[in-house]
Amino acid sequence: MGNGTRGFRAAPAGKHAVLIALGFLAVFPLYWMINTSFKPDTEVFSSSLLPRHWTFDNYRTAWNSVPMARMLTNSLAVALLQTGTQLFTSILAAFAFTRWTFKGSSLIYGLIGLTWLVPFQVIMIPNYVMISSFGWRDSLMGLVVPNIASAFAVLQLFNTFKSFPRALIEAARLDGASDWKVLWRTIFPNLRSAIASIGILLFITAWNDYFWPLLVTTKMEHSTIQKGLQMFMSSEMNLWGPLMAATTIASLPVLVIYLILQRQIIDSFVKGGLR
Amino acid sequence: MSYDTASASLSHAQAEPRTKERKALSVRLRGVWPYIYLLPAVLSIAFWVYRPLAQTFQLSFYQWNLLPTSPKTFVGWGNFEKLLTLPAMSKALWNTLFYTIGVIPFSLIVPIAIAIATDNIGKRSRNVYRALIFLPMIMAPVAVSSVWRWIMHPTNGILNQTLQSVFGLKEPIPFFTDGKWAIWSITFITGWKLIGFSTLIFSAAMTNINKEYFEAARMDRANRWQIIRYVILPLLSPTILFMAMLSTLFASEWSFTYINVLTQGGPVNATTNIYYLLWTYGFQTFSVGWSSAAAVVLFLGFGLIAVGFMALTRKLSFFDD
Repeated sequence: MGNGTRGFRAAPAGKHAVLIALGFLAVFPLYWMINTSFKPDTEVFSSSLLPRHWTFDNYRTAWNSVPMARMLTNSLAVALLQTGTQLFTSILAAFAFTRWTFKGSSLIYGLIGLTWLVPFQVIMIPNYVMISSFGWRDSLMGLVVPNIASAFAVLQLFNTFKSFPRALIEAARLDGASDWKVLWRTIFPNLRSAIASIGILLFITAWNDYFWPLLVTTKMEHSTIQKGLQMFMSSEMNLWGPLMAATTIASLPVLVIYLILQRQIIDSFVKGGLR
Repeated sequence: MSYDTASASLSHAQAEPRTKERKALSVRLRGVWPYIYLLPAVLSIAFWVYRPLAQTFQLSFYQWNLLPTSPKTFVGWGNFEKLLTLPAMSKALWNTLFYTIGVIPFSLIVPIAIAIATDNIGKRSRNVYRALIFLPMIMAPVAVSSVWRWIMHPTNGILNQTLQSVFGLKEPIPFFTDGKWAIWSITFITGWKLIGFSTLIFSAAMTNINKEYFEAARMDRANRWQIIRYVILPLLSPTILFMAMLSTLFASEWSFTYINVLTQGGPVNATTNIYYLLWTYGFQTFSVGWSSAAAVVLFLGFGLIAVGFMALTRKLSFFDD
């Protein structure tokens, strides 16, 4: 009873056991991917927990059998452009909702918010037809342009902007600053870290995206690394070492970002829900 | 109207210095500014979400094979009637239900249990666990598919090897090629990616609960199960509803990549679901009309479910303190 207020459920050891089991389930596949990727051909099928002889052969094979550098560059370009434009358009939109009360604002906000009810598969055919008619298949334009705005980013940023003290905006306005200046000189610098963590989520989402590249690109040279990985998987059925190496390469940027910024990433995911 | 304001401000400006004129102009423009700032986001969303949505509704009444040169034929409700008779459709709907229910242990039951059981854990170890548990969420679905295909490979995968050597399993399990197992495998992978995220959501909700409620309940001699049943679960209900809605609406959509990469809907439609069917009709058999009709049904059906959930959330929102 004395311990009643704080420790609530299971005994501390039990708590840790549960969480360690869950943690193991979460991390094991990743560990197994990296482990396999460094094993030589002779060891790939063994269940040893570490390679006996470490090798980079799998990485070499994977790198040389598909245009890996090209696809990584494409992915990086798409993810950076998409993140940049999504941040820009949603900063402007969030500012409009924060700064002014205007006719139709709740209707527009509602329509932006409701887009999460429209699954990608429901609108993919008309969008594919549109991209084809622009001649944008197998191009950077085709990959990026449909995604220059993100409803998720607008809603998240609006929540962030709402918390910004109105008095500061008014003060800047009284000093004669235009709205544009208020946004970029007053609000933006103060909310930089919140905006950055939304940007990181957008980058991860863009890097991991598979549906859209699957639709609008056909050749490996034009596609992103995710689509390329899928093509590699279906063509090299049983080259497990190289496949795990390719998978590691495809996951590396996001894993590195996660390693450095996991606290912020988790926080903004938990705050913002999915997407 | 605008002419009136313009002339009014002009006559004003003659009496007053130039700044007044500038101000009048900006007053007139003020009404426009919010729309200008909104324009890029709104135009893009209108053009890439709502325009295609309307077109999907339109295409659902036509027969078309996706070729720009071939004509669209109006068939009225024909596509919808056709949907009822397509054998793959009932299988896909059934599987959609399977995925939706199959993901619930990963999105609700286990996470809630873990969140309650591990509340109040030390701050430093909590952060380590959070970082580990959350990892699957940031992995790309294609990479996830690739790794699980290797782990679950029938003869050489570590899972079957372990099952055979440690648990004495005789025949290796063909996780993706056996119709009975494949849908379970896809559901598991979908859930695996989700479970850490849901656990963190529920843990965060647990942390926000005022612990004095527990103390008060204990004073009233409530036992641990009574506290869970009558204190914790009601206090968690907004979060539970939110996650239930996410998981109901998106379980099938999240499994799309795994189906596409690992089984292509097979063997013999065993793992296909409504989203995958839209894909197959649209881009493999090029029956745009069927795909669009199914998309319309899907959109309206899930929209209704979402409205239901939102109504339920509003009804229960008094728990929100």
